[in-house]
Amino acid sequence: MFEEYSDEYEKGKLKVFFGYAAGVGKTYSMLQAAHRDKDQGKDVVVGYIERHTRPDTLALLSGLESIPNKRVDYRGIELSELDLDGVLKRKPEVVLVDELAHTNAPGSRHRKRYQDIEEILRHGIDVYTTVNVQHLESLNDLVESITKIAVSERVPDYVFDRADNVSLVDIEPDELLARLKTGKVYGKAQAERAINHFFTKDNLVALREIALRRTADRLSRRSAESGNETVSRAGEHILVCLSGSKTNAKVIRTAARMAEAFHSSFTGIYVDEDEFSNSAIDENEDFQKNIRLAEQLGAQIVTVYGEDAAEKIASYAKLKGITKIVLGRTGKRGIFRRKSLADKINDLSGDIDVYIIPDTSVTGKYDFRKGIRKASKAAVEPTDILKTLSVIIVSCLICFIFDQLNLSEANIIIVYILGVLITAIITRGYACGLVASLVNVTLFNLFFTEPRYTLTAYDPSYPITFLCMTISSILASTLANKVKNEATLSAQKAYYLEILMNSSKKFSEGRDQEDIIQIAAVQIASILSRPVAYSLYYPEEELDFKVYPSEHQEIVLQMDSHEMAVATWVTKNNKHAGATTDTLSDADNLYLSVRSSQGVMGVVAIPIKNYDELDNEEKNLTISLLDECGVVLSRRRLSEERKAIEMETQRERLRANLLRAISHDLRTPLTSISGNAVMLMDNGDKFSEEKKKEIYNSIYDDAMWLVELTENLLSITRIENGTINLHMTSELMEDVFEEAIAHVDRKIADYNVKIDLKDDLLMGRMDVRLIVQVIVNLLNNAIKYTPKGTDITLAAEKIGDKLSVTISDNGPGIRDEFKEHIFDMFYSAEIGRADDRRGLGLGLSLCKSILQAHGEDIILLDNFPHGAAFRFTLPLEEINV
Amino acid sequence: MFKPKILVIEDDPAILSLVKTTLETQDYMFRTAMNGKQGLMDILSYNPDVLVLDLGLPDISGMEIIGKIRGWSNMPIIIISARSEDEDKVEALDAGADDYLTKPFSIDEFLARVRVAIRRVKTENLHGGEASSIYENGSLKIDYVAGCVYVDGEEIHLTPMEYRLVDLLSKNTGKVLTHNYILREVWGSQLSSDIPSLRVFMATLRKKLERGNPDNKFIQTHVGIGYRMIRK
Repeated sequence: MFEEYSDEYEKGKLKVFFGYAAGVGKTYSMLQAAHRDKDQGKDVVVGYIERHTRPDTLALLSGLESIPNKRVDYRGIELSELDLDGVLKRKPEVVLVDELAHTNAPGSRHRKRYQDIEEILRHGIDVYTTVNVQHLESLNDLVESITKIAVSERVPDYVFDRADNVSLVDIEPDELLARLKTGKVYGKAQAERAINHFFTKDNLVALREIALRRTADRLSRRSAESGNETVSRAGEHILVCLSGSKTNAKVIRTAARMAEAFHSSFTGIYVDEDEFSNSAIDENEDFQKNIRLAEQLGAQIVTVYGEDAAEKIASYAKLKGITKIVLGRTGKRGIFRRKSLADKINDLSGDIDVYIIPDTSVTGKYDFRKGIRKASKAAVEPTDILKTLSVIIVSCLICFIFDQLNLSEANIIIVYILGVLITAIITRGYACGLVASLVNVTLFNLFFTEPRYTLTAYDPSYPITFLCMTISSILASTLANKVKNEATLSAQKAYYLEILMNSSKKFSEGRDQEDIIQIAAVQIASILSRPVAYSLYYPEEELDFKVYPSEHQEIVLQMDSHEMAVATWVTKNNKHAGATTDTLSDADNLYLSVRSSQGVMGVVAIPIKNYDELDNEEKNLTISLLDECGVVLSRRRLSEERKAIEMETQRERLRANLLRAISHDLRTPLTSISGNAVMLMDNGDKFSEEKKKEIYNSIYDDAMWLVELTENLLSITRIENGTINLHMTSELMEDVFEEAIAHVDRKIADYNVKIDLKDDLLMGRMDVRLIVQVIVNLLNNAIKYTPKGTDITLAAEKIGDKLSVTISDNGPGIRDEFKEHIFDMFYSAEIGRADDRRGLGLGLSLCKSILQAHGEDIILLDNFPHGAAFRFTLPLEEINV
Repeated sequence: MFKPKILVIEDDPAILSLVKTTLETQDYMFRTAMNGKQGLMDILSYNPDVLVLDLGLPDISGMEIIGKIRGWSNMPIIIISARSEDEDKVEALDAGADDYLTKPFSIDEFLARVRVAIRRVKTENLHGGEASSIYENGSLKIDYVAGCVYVDGEEIHLTPMEYRLVDLLSKNTGKVLTHNYILREVWGSQLSSDIPSLRVFMATLRKKLERGNPDNKFIQTHVGIGYRMIRK
């Protein structure tokens, strides 16, 4: 389901030694090539060579370095497997790995060896491997039809087609047979059996032809691709219809071969209709297999919704410019439809070619069996039987009453048909409705036709009545079913759509990346009705899983090193892995990567152990959600990076200005302090007490001014030292105000300070030291520029989702010409007023910087009737205790 | 009469001289040390009742000294630290320090802290270190056995959580308790996400104890650090 491949990672080159049967000498050629490379000075290592390999082949192994195989114990049998991590650790230039089509022992990282090889290639290591023609996915059933032997180990064609080098190892069939007979390939006894069954000359000739043709196809395909891919692709577009039937696999393979032959785009479609949404699990499994097959063969999978499959497929085909539709012959629903699916598609699709692939008898039998199983499955649903029975009994009772009242037979018939209709509505599937209609007709015959209580009827018109009754009740039940199913289907579709719409809205409202991925987790948890663990991913950083809903911490607690390794693998490879996938499938959870164009943004872990498996619908929805999430996350990450850079430049500017200011302005108060001190030391006894007090006060004031300046400077270093310096906490505004008042100039005692809180428990998110600094600066300003006895008010209130803080006074106010520059650095209102205290003009500009660092702003307002008011906002903390 | 002994460990000569002058004028018994090693020796030989400790010593870190002392003594420790060392303060308080002063501090502030510490030593000596079942602090009275809290003789109705807070604060009167310490003791957790609720509980508790009377301010907020119950 989750296979995809990305070219940018593939750095190593893949060479495939391709043969048409065992014993043609693939491994031998591969080893020879290895020796040649080694002689040329390449670092060649043997990763894995099949043990049963022939003696002269094994002889070639000497002189080559081997990576010891991994021993895996599986149900008491010791299996030896390629040591993938060993290879990656050794990191040779070239590694030999025999048997591309091999299926790994359970518990290995990947289910298939070709996946191991893909991983090795991604790490920039060249790989030599071998494969036989019958293992190629698209040729599988072709080979099977020739040899009558089913091959279970198969490789997707893209692995073969994307190989950088394919070396065809070919010998004459006669020679191969001769080799067989001398026991070079198998032991003597085994060889006899093999010659009689598989290695017949006819078979070998046919296989050889397929292998040669496939190699040639690959060549022409590659040359076409390198020539002009878009043109060759634009020409043809093949659509294959997917279903849950066994025979569908053959249809898919045929379509894939066609796609390859035409070098065309290839799409698999399936229609999610009533039949499927309540189908048995077995069929679902087959269906999943088919979808996986189509994907492996390079198809892009699309899902459309609706009751009328033919119409949906045809309209999709027209919309997307499909040139050929491939489907299997199905007779499934022919009873109630005049035309088969194929006919209908043919009618609807206009000039699109429609290819119909016939069923084989074997699979036909299978379908038949399955039909029975399905029917019986539907019949055993106990509540439905109960419902059907009750409806039948009630309708019988009503009919008896009608009969007693001597109402006409027509009424009785209508009651029975009504009963069937009700049964069809309240039960699931067609079965109960059908049974009810037959039972009702029989009951009508039994109870209400002369002679009563027998199954015979005197009146010759009855057979027609029965027939009409049967047909109309069956039709009624079918129609009712259809209406009901369409309703559920559209309800479900609406539900999914709503979820997606909802999510994208919520994503855009997410406060930060953590918030966004949590939103995705919340949605997924509700869709899949199970807890979900999630983590953001930053390159070079550990994953840190959190769980939603948070009471299910056990998911994270149960993530041992193995589970974490799976999660890490997902981030490294940008592929989904874990339970229900082909990679590391023994994990407890399914790990999905949150992707974007920038790469992996995060990982979501969905527990599978102890929960139901996900159905296709759920998977698709989850993945679309995560894709959406990935896009939003990457956008957010980009803008955060940009913001960080902007802030960095601003800080640089601040620092430069500051240094200039400090060097100039620190000298003034220091001169005053030291000068006054010297005066007192030298002439202390000559001054009057009053004069001394004046000098003490001046020293104190200058020292305090320096203290204030230092506090501001410290705050600035805190903002400019780097991003992590904002230490955000939630604080009660009341505490913040009181802390600020405790730190302002002692002259505050001469002012009338008031705290005005609309709500005692107002809380804001802030770096409290810095915000206290802001308020201290504003209060000091108020003290500096207003006369004693002025009212100063500190107010805070909730406005929308913000906390609005206002520091106001009813002093003379700020003159208009100052307003414009008041937040500029080194701007001070006393410029030109010789008698006033000096000021660096740092205070307000620092306030602005601090609030900007919080992502907020500060503004200057006029207080009514006179005075100044500074207002800033902070993020509001909503708290529920 | 009990005459408390104070030890001041401070490496900066200017601050040390200021502290010396102040303590002299107030007629306290004290000794000073200029570095950590000498300080530790003095702690053992002089056996002070109150320790004033600068966090930024040249040889041994203040944290280490606190750790060593807390191994065997419960003496009040007042920390002196620079403004930028907020985290250090919290760490020191968590390690067992009682109070802190931030440079630049005023003389009045310094003396007030010393008085609080001495009072704590006195109360402990009085009760012989044993916990009393009745706590009295100005107009605040707590009956630990009955689990009742009275202000001005009237019973205050507290929620269980508020009671646990007032219980913890009163048993550490004079000591600054950090947010983390309170969370650990009362909530049993140390998640910083619980701090907002702690603040709300504290705010309502304070309101209840104040009963509209500003003289009844028992709980002091130390923004960014924690809370303290003050001795009236």
